[in-house]
Amino acid sequence: MNRKLSSGRLFAALATIVLTAVACGSTSAPAASKGTITIAGFAFSEGTVLADLYGEALAHDGFTVNYKLQLGNREVVSTAIKSGQVDLYIGYAATDLEFYNKGAGEASGDAAANVQKLNSHLSSLGLVALTPSTAIDQNAFAVTKDTASKYNLVKLSDLAAVGGQLVLGGPPECPTRPFCQPGLSRVYGITFKSFKALDAGDPLTFAALANGSIQVGLVFSSDARIAPAKLVVLQDDKQLEQADDVVPILRSAVASDEAKTVLNEVSAKLTTADLVQMNSQVENLHQDADAVTMAWLQSHNFGM
Amino acid sequence: MAAIESVLKWFTDPAHWSGTDGIPTRLMEHIQLSAESVAIAMLIALPIGIVLGHYGKLGNVAINVSNIGRALPSFGILVIAFQIWGLGDLPIIVSLTALAIPPMVTNSYVGLREVDPDIKDAARGMGFRGMAQLLRVELPLALPLVMAGIRTSAVQVVATATLAALIAGGGFGRYIVDGLDQQDYTKLFAGAVLVALLALATELSLGGLERLVTPRGIRLLRVRAARPATAFKTA
Repeated sequence: MNRKLSSGRLFAALATIVLTAVACGSTSAPAASKGTITIAGFAFSEGTVLADLYGEALAHDGFTVNYKLQLGNREVVSTAIKSGQVDLYIGYAATDLEFYNKGAGEASGDAAANVQKLNSHLSSLGLVALTPSTAIDQNAFAVTKDTASKYNLVKLSDLAAVGGQLVLGGPPECPTRPFCQPGLSRVYGITFKSFKALDAGDPLTFAALANGSIQVGLVFSSDARIAPAKLVVLQDDKQLEQADDVVPILRSAVASDEAKTVLNEVSAKLTTADLVQMNSQVENLHQDADAVTMAWLQSHNFGM
Repeated sequence: MAAIESVLKWFTDPAHWSGTDGIPTRLMEHIQLSAESVAIAMLIALPIGIVLGHYGKLGNVAINVSNIGRALPSFGILVIAFQIWGLGDLPIIVSLTALAIPPMVTNSYVGLREVDPDIKDAARGMGFRGMAQLLRVELPLALPLVMAGIRTSAVQVVATATLAALIAGGGFGRYIVDGLDQQDYTKLFAGAVLVALLALATELSLGGLERLVTPRGIRLLRVRAARPATAFKTA
């Protein structure tokens, strides 16, 4: 009985794979491809959502799209795009600006201005940043509700007095990034007891906050797991974080007018609420990112 | 050349020799994780290998099960163990222990099986029975192979303990993972050098220990076996 059931399932799974392969074959290899674009995704869950979203829009328009999902952090992805191994990634205006200008502090609360300055640093690298979306995702610092009530924490400046008793957790690059540990020290004067290298606002960070091995963790403002995990995001009362609007960054060599039009159209329609909603479906309900983003594209008249 | 110079500079920077991210702290973390894993693996693997080897039964089962163990990727076990036990040293020790068990089971089983049947007969003839025969005749003779199994496991564990850093653990893997994420390739390379040195030190010190605990009788046997060859060369 059991064996019968499982072999039936196996057959169904095989049939699905075959059918999907056939279906994919017919959509991703149209009569004449408009060119091949390799898109990289950052190694955190929203990175996959954004790469799928923009990649599917390009594929629908007739481009052949290759994905390098969960490729790494910005250090890895920027190296890959500079060497031409990938053509496109979906970045964040302020963080990318401060990455390419090596933390010169040019970023402001104006996303368009950030992208303009970003482009002045990118042009010599053969890269170009497009119009930013209004969807925004900034670094944020979260504590558990218990920690918040124990130390009376509401905003980041509250941390200055008690930072010496707390451990900060974040991705390994946090101690070298202007919007992470150095920014907290420069803008708020916070010195932590120590720093623990985890991941970029993903399972390790949530687990470390839950078991108390860190008290303050780097998360992303558009992350849908913050509320279910009973975490409190501390208000950025001195505006350390700047306009980190979602912005596609691509190699000038593949930046055809048509590719730019498609990417800009997605950016124009994407809102922060949409992004949080899609993150929630992927992170909390464990749906496949490519299906979630496909549903968004369909409901926003990309004609699929 | 410039790369080697910057790595040398990294090692001579006093800032890298103190604090929670200093070499002494990371070394202790690395040794602790490795030693705990190897010790637990010894408690599990050696009795199994020795008992099965002594009775000469279920040998195929022991060897095949431990071969399957060898095929399991440590990183896969690490991720699954992290899902079960969460953050901390436990998932790391579980995956390293799983890595350490197979060579110890195989080597101690083979070591016990390889004891010359004539010697076992002689032992029985001299009145050794059961436990005494195992502990005082078979085990000393099998010791070099048993120790070689422990040494193989320990070197593998020291080299693989770098994976701990992927789930926020300590040890020298921290330099490799952090160096990659911070684009600090000097740190990455220094971490790799440190791991290689520690693995080498493990190999040499356990090799030395192996010679120390080898019974004098066996050492004499080996020397005698080697002598004709030397004599032939000089003649």
